[in-house]
Amino acid sequence: MSDTKRPKFPSTRDDPEIEAMEVPPPKLNWMNQSREWHTRIRPGKKGLTLGSLNVGIYGEVPTHWDDQNRNPRGAIPAKGRLPVGYTVSDKSEMWAPCAADLYEEAIQRRWAPATDVPWHTIKPLPEELERAICQVCTELTQYANIDIEVISDWQHRMAYGYHEVKQFLATTTLDAARRYEAFRKRALSNGGGLGLEPTCQMSRALLESRGGWTETVVALTLVRGLFTIVLLRFLAKYAYNQAELTLYEHVNQDLARLVTYGLEHLKYCIQHTEDQKSSIGTMIAISVGMFSRDLRDPVLREALAIVFGGSVAQARTVGMEVVFDFLEAFRDEHIAACRYLDIDNSVERMPRAFRPREQVETG
Amino acid sequence: MSDLYRFPSLEWFEAVRAEFNADDAFRGAGGGRCDCLAGFQIGDDFYLAEFEGFEVSSVTLGSEIEKAKADFFLEMSVEQWCEMVKNIKQNGHAILEYTLNTIDLNMLDGLSKSMHGDQYREDLFFRYNQTIQFFFDASSRIETQYA
Repeated sequence: MSDTKRPKFPSTRDDPEIEAMEVPPPKLNWMNQSREWHTRIRPGKKGLTLGSLNVGIYGEVPTHWDDQNRNPRGAIPAKGRLPVGYTVSDKSEMWAPCAADLYEEAIQRRWAPATDVPWHTIKPLPEELERAICQVCTELTQYANIDIEVISDWQHRMAYGYHEVKQFLATTTLDAARRYEAFRKRALSNGGGLGLEPTCQMSRALLESRGGWTETVVALTLVRGLFTIVLLRFLAKYAYNQAELTLYEHVNQDLARLVTYGLEHLKYCIQHTEDQKSSIGTMIAISVGMFSRDLRDPVLREALAIVFGGSVAQARTVGMEVVFDFLEAFRDEHIAACRYLDIDNSVERMPRAFRPREQVETG
Repeated sequence: MSDLYRFPSLEWFEAVRAEFNADDAFRGAGGGRCDCLAGFQIGDDFYLAEFEGFEVSSVTLGSEIEKAKADFFLEMSVEQWCEMVKNIKQNGHAILEYTLNTIDLNMLDGLSKSMHGDQYREDLFFRYNQTIQFFFDASSRIETQYA
């Protein structure tokens, strides 16, 4: 901008009264306040990652976080502040060693349903099929909604000392928001609309869970998270267009990060807390039992059978066979996850909802 | 006329790697940075690809030792691999029956395996699924001669 166009403002230097005022020199007494100075971390092969900042005192992650303020780890705590009242302040209650990496992964692998999904590939489908897909989307949308509320509700109760976890969980609420957006868009993009709100005791249990974050993680990731991942994998296999395939596959990657966090947190918790393994085992059994009761409601099962079978006529035969495959696949993934945590589980111990062929055979 | 690469061979993987690394389209929309060691067991041959950031930094023809290093490896017969690669060539990308996801679901023991049993590393296949798919989709741009 040329000088001639620059607006003219009166300068304090032009005002003799202000000029005469005595301004105390700045104290700058905050300037030498640091617990550790001369920190100079260089970017590595993956850039300047969150995890790479964990050097010196900044990398000291205590097993318990006493500070009741919003003090970023490594800063000098302020005195005399009112306590925030965190209830999750033990490392074993939330930590997963991979949290910083998962955070970076979430940031770097982001996508946008508005522009990254080839929506134009969606073509009109028979109404019964469109209704079934919309019902499935309605259920997935509700799951996502609950995830946002559950995770964000716990976040403010978590101590600031474990910022890697808090930051990663912030990405999972965004992921869940994107999941909500994505499935709502699919439901409203092809002449259909949202269907019935699902019966969901599991959602209520998640929202009202007060037994601790670890308990919530069991239900959120090892049960419903894993169930949703397997569901999305089957939906991807039976997608009716490239847009749906893209949606299911992209959402699956997002959700896989949350389930990875869940598994690694539970593993850490078991390794660092005496007797926690048996509690987690009990929590798993309760969560799976509760979730199986939700599945007694036929709405999701029937809608899926239509999607997998391609029509109402095919739903009872081909479609339901695939639903059974899906329920068994979830069961097997869940048992494998329990095995990874060294927690006893087996097909026989799973609720009958996850042994669908057995139900059919025994009538 | 473009070069013809025999599948499976190290030359074929190198040609796909060059295509994959050169195209920004594989870096966004569900792709993005990816860091893992992915193995491909094709009949008796084993290839190890290092995904590093936005690129595949190397592909090597390996042995059981390299197989143990892989975070996960995808195992199929030569015929099954050829079928998948042909489908990708025909369509420009894998269609439903031939996506890695569908193949994994259709195989009794799954497509993705590991020798270490570390779930965290095994799950990289699911967390990076799109990038691995994009890598094979890039093979549609090269001319392939099948074994």
